[in-house]
Amino acid sequence: MVPALSGKMSGEALVYLDNAATSQKPRQVLDFLGDAMVQSNANVHRSMYELSDRSTSLYENAREAVRSFINAPGRENIIFTSGTTSSINLVADTFCRRLAPGDEILIEGDSHHSNIVPWQLAAERNGAVVKVIPTDVMLGIGRSGRVVFEELESMLTDRVKILALTHISNITGLVNPVGETIAKAHARGIPVLVDGAQGIVHQKVDVQEMDCDFYAFSAHKIYGATGVGILYGKTQILETLPPYMGGGDMVETVTYGKTTYAPLPLRFEAGTPNFTGAASLTPALEFAEFLRSGQTGKVLKEEECRIMSYMAEALASDPDVEVYGTGVNKTPIFTFNIKGINAGDLAQLLDKMGVAVRSGLMCAEPLINSFGANSVLRASFAPYNTLDEAQTFIKCLHRAKNMLL
Amino acid sequence: MTIKEIEQQIVEEFSIFDNWMDKYQYIIDLGKSMPVIAEDAKKDENLIKGCQSRVWLDCRQENGKLYFSADSDAIITKGIISLLIRVYDGHTPQEIIDSEIDFIDTIGLRQNLSPTRANGLVSMLKQIKLYALAFKEKDEEKSAAKDKGKYSIEDVQKNVIRALKQVFDPEIPVNVYDLGLIYEVKVGEDRSVFIKMTMTSPTCPMADDVVNDVNNAVSDAPGVNGVQIELTFDPEWDESRMSEEARLELGLM
Repeated sequence: MVPALSGKMSGEALVYLDNAATSQKPRQVLDFLGDAMVQSNANVHRSMYELSDRSTSLYENAREAVRSFINAPGRENIIFTSGTTSSINLVADTFCRRLAPGDEILIEGDSHHSNIVPWQLAAERNGAVVKVIPTDVMLGIGRSGRVVFEELESMLTDRVKILALTHISNITGLVNPVGETIAKAHARGIPVLVDGAQGIVHQKVDVQEMDCDFYAFSAHKIYGATGVGILYGKTQILETLPPYMGGGDMVETVTYGKTTYAPLPLRFEAGTPNFTGAASLTPALEFAEFLRSGQTGKVLKEEECRIMSYMAEALASDPDVEVYGTGVNKTPIFTFNIKGINAGDLAQLLDKMGVAVRSGLMCAEPLINSFGANSVLRASFAPYNTLDEAQTFIKCLHRAKNMLL
Repeated sequence: MTIKEIEQQIVEEFSIFDNWMDKYQYIIDLGKSMPVIAEDAKKDENLIKGCQSRVWLDCRQENGKLYFSADSDAIITKGIISLLIRVYDGHTPQEIIDSEIDFIDTIGLRQNLSPTRANGLVSMLKQIKLYALAFKEKDEEKSAAKDKGKYSIEDVQKNVIRALKQVFDPEIPVNVYDLGLIYEVKVGEDRSVFIKMTMTSPTCPMADDVVNDVNNAVSDAPGVNGVQIELTFDPEWDESRMSEEARLELGLM
């Protein structure tokens, strides 16, 4: 189903556990990409010939696939970007132009750099302030790594102009209570962006039910091509945003005196988009849907539960292991350190045993540092991973640990 | 042993292992058995830039040869540095600068490291060569200083007087030495020069320029290691202090 998973690494059978960084692609996505390059490669929204029509259809079909996958009201709510990072930058840059000195942007203590830095840049331009909803570690009241949303009550003042949440942390794997947090923000008229880079993979997302104003995610983490991001936005708020990048495709009429802009969503898609990559979202989201529905969905969910409890127990049984991110509402992302051992050393040895895991700061330096660490190891599972692979990982981890201790 | 011979030795050691897990175990053991670095050597200026894990590298010189010590918070990294140190320890700066090591590629280490660690390895090698360059420069400065020791005190004295005869009073077309402005020239054991001098009049407006000219000329004289000038008007200068040549020159004779 996913050809890369039966590949080899360092001469050993590959155990790919870096899914929070990117996913491996299913056969249908690979075939689709090859076919699209051969049969429908032409620039979109521009030409009168059939090849271009086919390309435009594939691109717009993918927009519809995304709309339906997250239950957005219309195609105008789905903007293609180059990634989650780009989606968040678009909102941070355009929305924050209306901010005044002293205005506040709230972000979470478990944020990925891409949901921190764009806001800092925007705040710097307008004299606004970025404030952080702390984790229990940052407050010194626990070691679970959960965001303490009780703190939000006192932080949601009239100065707050936007709230940037994380659906699921790429470090702790904990699911944040986005729905109720959004309701609290909306009660004060504050719009909310949700970083869904991990959330879209592990949760059924219904943007209307969630009621978020923006939801950002990447195609490559959910089995699609790299270099494609999605920004969902509510129509009434997207309408108020000024254009982000200027160029072709985002305009209605251009004169040297005055240019008018295309309607949503094209207004935010300047230049030639990654149309082949974006189109791959159609088979990619079909695959994602297949993994979570019907008999397959049931079987995989059960396997995921076994993986979750096996991993949690295996890591907890070693007194030298500290897991960063514990709690009830957790997805199969396991970040930890073994006392006295450098995470990079572990990752290096695991590589030689065919196990791909991530080591370092994972683009979440403030969170990692709050745990008192400057490097961590992360094993992140996708629905296509098996309990067998989890067991191989733990076995290899023990071997690496014994070598290093 | 030469750098090449040590490299060859390492290549042979690694050829015993037929898989990378064993090679890594060996590197890890090297890292573990590495001598502990002094805590004060783990300072920021010894931290190598470009490594993902933190690596400190210190270098000292003994009898013209360089000796390295290092530490890292990652044990594999530490093992790799210990290999580098084994190759380079006890060699002169010039030998290290001239060396082109290839054991890292021969044993396949570079290809088997993650790209970030391979970059770190390049940074470590660069730092070792930078140390060698710095010590080489220091050595050259020292030997230049030694050259100065080749001149005897009498030689230096002569050289200083020769230099003084090249400095002219701005108003009288006679050099400061024959004019009798130089009261004393003393060359020390360390070839430093002390000069006591005067001006034709205490109100000489060009006094600073003359002292500067003297300072520059004497500093550049062969064998001189520093100049100190004392300006005095006690006793005051008068024409009787001029040499015969000077008087002749000025038509006073």
